[in-house]
Amino acid sequence: MFRRIGRAFKEAWWGIRHHRAMVFSTVVTISITLAILSILGVLIANINQITYDIEEEIQVFVKIDNDVEEKDIEELQLKVSRISGVAGVVYSDADSELTYFIEQYGESGSIFEIYRDDNPLSRAFIVSVSTGFSISEVSKQIGTLDGIAEVNFGGFAIENFISLLGGIRKAGLVLALAIIPLAIYLIYNTIKITIHSRREEIGIMRLVGATNSYIRIPLVLEGIFIGIIGAILPCVGTVFGYQYFYEQMNGQLISGILKLVDVFPFTLYVSAILLAVGVFVGLIGSWWSATRSLRWKR
Amino acid sequence: MIVLENVSKIYKNGTKALNDFSLEIQDGEFVYIIGETGSGKSTLIKLLNGEEIPTKGRVLVNGTNVGRLRFGKVPLYRRKIGVVFQDYQLLKNKTVFDNIAFALEVINKSKEEVRKRVKEVLEIIDLANEFNSYPTELSGGQQQRVVIGRAIANNPSILICDEPTGNLDPRHSKEIIELLEKINRSGTTIIVVTHDYVLVDTYKKRTILLDNGSIVSDDSEGGYIHV
Repeated sequence: MFRRIGRAFKEAWWGIRHHRAMVFSTVVTISITLAILSILGVLIANINQITYDIEEEIQVFVKIDNDVEEKDIEELQLKVSRISGVAGVVYSDADSELTYFIEQYGESGSIFEIYRDDNPLSRAFIVSVSTGFSISEVSKQIGTLDGIAEVNFGGFAIENFISLLGGIRKAGLVLALAIIPLAIYLIYNTIKITIHSRREEIGIMRLVGATNSYIRIPLVLEGIFIGIIGAILPCVGTVFGYQYFYEQMNGQLISGILKLVDVFPFTLYVSAILLAVGVFVGLIGSWWSATRSLRWKR
Repeated sequence: MIVLENVSKIYKNGTKALNDFSLEIQDGEFVYIIGETGSGKSTLIKLLNGEEIPTKGRVLVNGTNVGRLRFGKVPLYRRKIGVVFQDYQLLKNKTVFDNIAFALEVINKSKEEVRKRVKEVLEIIDLANEFNSYPTELSGGQQQRVVIGRAIANNPSILICDEPTGNLDPRHSKEIIELLEKINRSGTTIIVVTHDYVLVDTYKKRTILLDNGSIVSDDSEGGYIHV
């Protein structure tokens, strides 16, 4: 068993050494592919983080009609929470609203304490939404309920911004999925050349009774090695490149609200994914090539 | 034992290679298959080593119906027969020892088994002193002996040789036939496909003459055949 594994590794390494030029060009192309994948991964992860942060921040402020009696509040809260897209509803009575209002003004806010006994503020629901895309729709539906005086949210600009981020994320995913088959095809061709250059040896192997798996395993290993070698530079580039970018941007984008994903362990996860993709494209490309080329025909 | 029962082989392009062909070769026989180009000799070899399947009829080798073998079983079947071709098909980057060992390594024999068997084979083919030479350092006759050595490394019960002396001068051809006779004496069935009628006439064995995919004559005494 170990002898067989050792032989497979030895032959895979032989293949790499003997087709250096072809292997080099494949490795370079795979490195470029994985680097693009890394950039897309970093972009998508940061978009996710920004979207999540915004969604955490944005809330719908729902003023309750003054005519609604205290005993009906709970039922109204239930109705709001049942609306699709609502993640949570917190009730804030008029007194709490005044406290919050006073806190907003810091020390000077205490002058509003005079309203404590004759509070002009309304009772409210603070509604959080499950996704930023649904904020206007949720607000609209809350507004149709009886007993709701006013509904406020950050406005359509936030919704459009989240929508834009979502669009970029989707485009990134599509691009990432589109370039993986290209890498697989490149490995397919490299292994095909290896098989062609070793056709005499493979012919003898078949003549003396070697099984297809015996012939195929070193070729598949060769493909995996190429995938791993191709992943090394993008992995290193991801860790150091993102660290540099993070430091240059002070860990934030535009303002303190839009925070970048921390360098660690994020870059290690991205590197692990790149390595896994390298192994995957190597495995699939070489398996495909070996299986097609070694197919028995009679 | 090899039995071909009413075998016909028609290739996809319509070429009729064998035509209702029947043949029986007993264990331990030495048989020449002769005939002109296109007479069906190569197809016969391909059928015997499982490279082709008959269009009609059965090819039985030691009880195995070769034409019905699943692809996954063909390698295991091939371990029981040895095949030698005219073009030496040696790996030039491997020594004589390694070329013979290769046949044992690909079927996962242990290092010890490989070493022991290769030594025996080197004695049989009389190349013990050349074990460390590369094929390019050997004569044509020696190279062909290495190929034969590789083919018998697995102790096959049948050795099929396709024009084994085709590239050799008379002296080396004689050496090869004598080596095949030596292997035959140990019980291995030998089938030699050849154009070398002088050899057939000198080393008389059962001789089967093919023409247009059929057996024209099957002479157990052998000797020169006027075609």
